[in-house]
Order: sequence, then structure tokens, then C-alpha cells
Amino acid sequence: MMAAKMFTIHFYVTFLLFTIRVSSSFIDYGENYRRNVSLELNPGLNSSLTPPPLGVGLIHVRALGQNDTLHYLFCSLGAPALLLVHTNSTSSKVEVDWPVFLSANASGSLRVTPESTVLHRNALIFTRLWEYSDVNDTAEPELLPFSSFFQPYELQNFTWGDLRKKLDPTAHTALLCGGDSSESFSNGSLCLKFSAFGSVGREKGWPSLLHNANSSQVRVWLDGVTPRSNRSRFSLELQSVGSTNPLTRVNVLQSIDDEYTPSIFKVAQWVSSPGNSSSPILSYAQWKPVAYRKASPVFEDATPCHHSTPVAIAQRPPSGLVLAYFGEGRQTTGLNITFSIAGDPFYNTTNYLSWTVLVGLGSPPVDSFSPLVLAIMAVGLGTPLLIILIGVVCVCVRKNRTQVQVYQPIN
Amino acid sequence: MADTEERQRLLDEDGDIPSSRPINESGPGRPMSALCDPSRLLHRLVVLAFMCFLGFGSYFCYDNPAALQTQVIQDMNLNTSMFMQLYAWYSWPNVVLCFLGGFLLDRVFGIRLGTIIFALFVCIGQVIFAAGALLDRFWLMEVGRFVFGIGGESLAVAQNTYAVNWFKGKELNLVFGLQLSMARLGSTVNMNIMGWVYNRVAVLVGSVGHTTLGVSLMIAGATCIFSLICALVLGYLDKRAERILHKEHRGTGEVIKLTDVKDFPFPLWLIFIICVGYYVAIFPFIGLGQVFFIEKFNFSPAEARAINSIVYIISAPASPVLGFMVDKIGRNVIWVICAVFATLMAHMMLAFTFWNPWIAMSLLGVSYSLLACALWPMVAFVVPEHQLGTAYGFMQSIQNLGLALIAMAAGSILDQRGYLFLEVFFSACVCIALIAVVMLYFVDYLRGGDLNLSASARAKLHLKNSDSDSHITAIPSCSHWHTEVY
Repeated sequence: MMAAKMFTIHFYVTFLLFTIRVSSSFIDYGENYRRNVSLELNPGLNSSLTPPPLGVGLIHVRALGQNDTLHYLFCSLGAPALLLVHTNSTSSKVEVDWPVFLSANASGSLRVTPESTVLHRNALIFTRLWEYSDVNDTAEPELLPFSSFFQPYELQNFTWGDLRKKLDPTAHTALLCGGDSSESFSNGSLCLKFSAFGSVGREKGWPSLLHNANSSQVRVWLDGVTPRSNRSRFSLELQSVGSTNPLTRVNVLQSIDDEYTPSIFKVAQWVSSPGNSSSPILSYAQWKPVAYRKASPVFEDATPCHHSTPVAIAQRPPSGLVLAYFGEGRQTTGLNITFSIAGDPFYNTTNYLSWTVLVGLGSPPVDSFSPLVLAIMAVGLGTPLLIILIGVVCVCVRKNRTQVQVYQPIN
Repeated sequence: MADTEERQRLLDEDGDIPSSRPINESGPGRPMSALCDPSRLLHRLVVLAFMCFLGFGSYFCYDNPAALQTQVIQDMNLNTSMFMQLYAWYSWPNVVLCFLGGFLLDRVFGIRLGTIIFALFVCIGQVIFAAGALLDRFWLMEVGRFVFGIGGESLAVAQNTYAVNWFKGKELNLVFGLQLSMARLGSTVNMNIMGWVYNRVAVLVGSVGHTTLGVSLMIAGATCIFSLICALVLGYLDKRAERILHKEHRGTGEVIKLTDVKDFPFPLWLIFIICVGYYVAIFPFIGLGQVFFIEKFNFSPAEARAINSIVYIISAPASPVLGFMVDKIGRNVIWVICAVFATLMAHMMLAFTFWNPWIAMSLLGVSYSLLACALWPMVAFVVPEHQLGTAYGFMQSIQNLGLALIAMAAGSILDQRGYLFLEVFFSACVCIALIAVVMLYFVDYLRGGDLNLSASARAKLHLKNSDSDSHITAIPSCSHWHTEVY
């Protein structure tokens, strides 16, 4: 359960330090770096020749930088997966051999060319949804007997909605909703909303993760699903695949800044880095340990979540995209995100859960204070200082004047 | 429940109401035991016990919402700004009642009936509050807090009036000290015990929910019934003493003239700003503190309640010590600057660091006590004594107004923008107090005022002026009682 945790603690006592910190954050995280983002569905597919099966779609987002390109591929063939490929060329392409891609043995049917330009590649797969009856209200599925678990929902067996209808090419978002044939999903669905970004910003709705030009986001929500017990809680299984460096280690950082995600003072980062903890981060999945129990949440609808330690997985991830791109030479790791903590309401109180993860390249973005906070503190601390200055001047002037008055009568 | 004690104490120290010596007649010819003889110390101690517990209920129940913050919010399906309405509704009646409380006690009800009526208000308020939870009607809970507010603050005035009646010229300072400690004790016990009560009730009821909350609050209401019984017993004992000793009654000594407000000098307005800016960063913060410590510092609920009550715990022993110090050294403005600055530091520590919050909260507790000792007596330096009642009434009134408004604001800020922003907001409030006190220092300096005199200089001034007008220089200080006691 205990992941390797690294705590960074920020203290900012004086206003001076505030400004230093902000100006440095501008440089470090490339606030001004922009990418040209474009989105296409099923690249290279001539649907008259090879109509894809219902509910299968491949979204390709090309994020063009000054001298590199980021390719995001989001696919609903098998379990939903997001593939991130970074190339050092501005002309790299995604090539899909569609008949093979849709066949049972799809290995090698998707390539990013020229292959020599590929710098880094990583995939995140949403594989399973666990449901368990939390009889003792501990929200610790690791401690529960196996009998408390219901048959998990395998996301590869889900029927997904048509991506074509849920695509927004200008906002670079795609919505994928689906469910299995069981009664639980008769009125509900599991949805994944994928967004790609070309510049720094935040989404409006909580957790309002800070994103930049090197990141994309997946919001997962579970809406209206009939739980199989009155005390049901859920866990989501995630897998990461890389040819050499999948996401291995989860860092939990403390952050004093909860302005954008009220009451959440931590951020978890599942990172891929070649060596020990000091080596640079190649890519990451970042989330705040919070889920929301309503679609438009208020403060009280937040429910904390926690993650298990990542472990290596031998089996092939159940994703067509991963098979098609990585073939057999790959490494896989996985972890579970468990929603809610002991004492929090069970799923059936709102029948809703949403959780957001940011997937991107390089170092994860770091929150910094908003201009409003800085302005308030500057004015609040600056004004007394100013008054002290003015006061001292007044007192000095007055002293001089009285001294003059004292000497005057001598004449 | 802000600072009625301080204000009342100051008034009473100066209260220049003619007192008749109690005529010591031990009944018609038959000797009474010391326990029953109102002129003996032992009997007065019995009375003192009832006096102390008179306020216990209202202090205990005032912070019920803070002690059960998560439970109230969860069981009643509230958001934080609705939760903070519970505090706002307590403060609203006191915006007006701070002027009226003393008048009602003196002229309308009399001290005995007045006390019983206010204690009844407290009881009924708490019962309505609990009934609102039982019936799952939040508006009823707000009504309950309103009624509770009508009784609560005025009951503190009544408590002090009783103390003056029984102990003037005797152990008055000790009595005020004990009452203050009792008030803090009530708040502390509440903070630390209500969570446990709730859990036990949850076991009995079988589940958590608004019923559990209602039953817990009803149990808390027992302390109010207890206070009501104290009020009744005190009324009886007071009546009996009056009969036996032919004692005359002193009032609260408050003369409120609202037209005086236009004559208030500029430094007094600065003192008002300090008062509002400072206290709004303390009480609403404590109201919201519990969940803050759980969320940001990963405290268990019990730990969070304990740290949230540390301000009250510290203020019980620190007030007399700091009061003694301020009294001996003088220089009130400097002390206020220190207190406000320390509070600002404490809030900034809570906002911008993960340092152990016990440091910040202890600092907050000490500075809160220091401010109370240095700020409230300053009012008496800047207004003539005949306006003192109006000045204190006004100060408390706008303090309550500030508390009501800021409680609401704090709730919605937390809902929208989280704890960092809330702490920055509280820091900004303290900054306003800091601006005002720095201005006060210079204004006083340039005007040659005596706010910041050392104690010895003040004593000289007192000697010089004592022939002409003893009233104006009869300088009250919150620590007069401490110097004798501790």
C-alpha cells in the first residue's frame, strides 16, 4: 500500500519569495509554449472499404511543436487506451493498416513513422472496474476477503458508443461512453472524456488540473450504474505500457495550494523515469487524490481516493491499440485507484463518481499561486509598511519643526 | 460569545454606582450557619459556583456547530456557507442587543428576572436548534441559533452584573477571572466531547443521520437546562440575600446614548476597526477549523477538535499573566501591534506552510489573549467615562456585525476557492487590523495622546489630574483583577 512517497514542502513567508517563485515557475514549465493541435478520427481509414465494427474508434491528436510532435492516440478497441508518442520531427505520421488492425492478430499494424524519430512512447489503459461491498466501511479493498468482491467489469468487454457523434474537433475532445450487457448498466454508463491541449490552462470543473502544451486529460465517470450491494464502492484498474520505461513509481507531493481543487493538498504522479528518483521524468499520469460524487460538484461532494502500489504485470493488456503498436516487446505495470475513504457515503447515495487524470510528456505541471492571492498578500503586507514609512517621515518632519520653534524665541 | 466579559469587566471596574453597605443582620435573632449566611464568605462561594455555571451552558453550546462540523454538514446536507449561517444567525441579534442588554437588565426586567429570561432564551434556542436537526429542517436550526443568540450574549452581561452585586469591593477580580476561565472551559469541553457524544448516540440510534445529530444536540442542551437551574437558584439566593441583608441593587452601570457616536474621536474608530478586523479572523476561523486540520494536516477528528480548542485552552491561563504584564508595563498600542502581527504570522503559517499547526495555533492563542488584554482597556483612554457604555456597546455591536458578515463570507469562500484562499482572506482581515493599529500608533504619537504611555508615566498623569477630575483618569485596565489575584 505504501508507495514511495516524496514530500516537498513549500514555505513562502515573505512577499519577496512569492514573486521569485512565480517568476521561476513561468520559466520552468514553459507557460508560453504552445502546440498546434489537430484532431482526426480513424486516420487513414477508408470506411467504404473496411467499415469498422460498431463502437470501435481511433482518435489521433497531433500536437505540433516548433521542432517536435506529440501524437496522442485514444482508442476503444478492447479496453480504452491512451497512447502517447513523442517524435523529434515535425513531419512524423501515424500509419494504420486497418484490416490487420481490426483483425485478431493486430501486432505491428499501427506505426508512427519515421520510426527513428520516436523519442518516447507510453500508453495508459483503463482495464477494469472493481466493485466491492465495503461491509466494515473501511474503504480498504486490500484488507477485504475475496468474497467481498463482485465479478469485476472488464472494460474490454464493454460496448462503446459511437465516437464519431461525440467528437469536438475544435475543443479537441472526444467522449466515449459504454457499458456491458448486465442489468447494472441498463440505465448507466462508464464514460471517458479525452481532451488534448495546445497551451497552458485549466478546465473549469473541479479538480481543475493545470495542464500545458505537453499534456492531455482523461476524465472518467460512472453515472447511474446500479450497484450490486448497498455498501458498494468502486476501484479502477489502470495499466501502463512502455517499450522500455512504463510508468513505475507513484510520487505523492504535498501542495499548499488548494485554490483550484478546494481542500485537496496532495497531488499524485505516476511517473516513468529511467533510473532512480533523481533522474528526469519522461512521462507521467498525474491526478489529485479526489473523486466527486456529483456531476456539478460542490465542496461537500468531494471524496478522497487512494492508489495501490504499482506492480509489474505479465499478461498482455487487453487493448487493441497497445497490441497494434507495441507488439510483443513491451513492459506493463498496473495499479488500482480506490475511490472514497472510510465513513464517506457509498456509491448508491448519488450514483455518480468522477475522477480526472492528466497524461503528458516531461515533468508534470506544478500549481502556483493565483495572481489574486499574490495581489491580496502584496497589498495586505505592503500597506502597513507604507504607513510605517509615511508615519516615520511625518514624525521626523514634525520633530524638526518643533525644534525650529523651540529655537525661535531666542531671537 | 466574543468579549462581553472584557467589556463588562471594564465597565464595572469603573462603575460609579453608589453602593449601600450591606447591613449585617443575621436574621431575626437566630444565628445562621456560614453556609446560609449571605454575608459570609462560604455562602458567597456557593453563590459563585452557581454564577460560574450560569454561563457554562451558553458557552458550551455556542461552539456546538464547530465541534460537529463534519456531522452537521453531512447529516443536514449542507454546504459550508450554509453551515456558517449558524454562526451568522447567532451574531445578528447581538448587533442590536449589545446596546439593549444592559438596559433591559437594569430598567425592564431587573437582574433576577432578566437572568432567568435570558437563560430561558438560551435553553429554548438550543432546543429549537436540536429540534431542527431532529426534524431535518435546517431553517429551524437557524431560528434556534437566532433565539440562542438573543439569550447568549445578554446572559454574559447578567452574569457579570451578578458578580458585581455580590463581590464588589471583595473578591470581584477573582470572580471575573473565574468566570472567564469557566467560559473558556465550556468552549473547550464542548470541542473535545461533542464528537464522542455523537458517536455514542450513533451507536444507540443505530446509524448516523439527522436524528443522531438532533439527539446529540439535545444532550448538549442539558447544559443549558443546567444553566437555567443555576439562574433560578441564583434568583432565589439573591432574593433571600436582599431580604436578609436589605441589600440594594446595582445595575450594569451602562448608560447608552447613541447620539454620543458622532462625538467619538478618530482613535476610537481605529480601535473599532482593529477589533472587527481582528476578531473576524479568529471566531469564524475556529468555526471552520476542525475540517481544515483534518484535510490539510491529516489530523484525526479527535486531534483536530483538540487543536481547534487550543486557543481557548491557552487563553484561560495566559489572560491573567499577560494582563498583569500589560498592566505593569503599559504601552498598550505596542502590545496590540505585537498581538496583531503575531496573529498575522500564525495565519500565514497556516496558509503557506505545512509546519506543525500546533505552533501556529499556540501563537494564535497567546496573541488572542494579549490582544484582549491590551485592546479593550484602550477604549477608556480615548472617551470620557460617561460615554464608555456607548463606546463599548458600539464596539461589540459592530464586532457582531462583522462576525455575522464574515462568517457568511468565509463559508462561501471556502466552498468556492478552498482553504488557501480562506486563510489568505483571514490574513487580509488581520492586515486591515494591522493597518489600523499602525495608524493608531502614529495618530496617538502625533496628537500626544496617552494610549501608548508606559505604566509609570500613566501613574504620574493620574496623580497630576486626580485633583481636577478623577473620573477621566480612573483608567481601567483589563488586568486590574489579575494583579490582585495572581
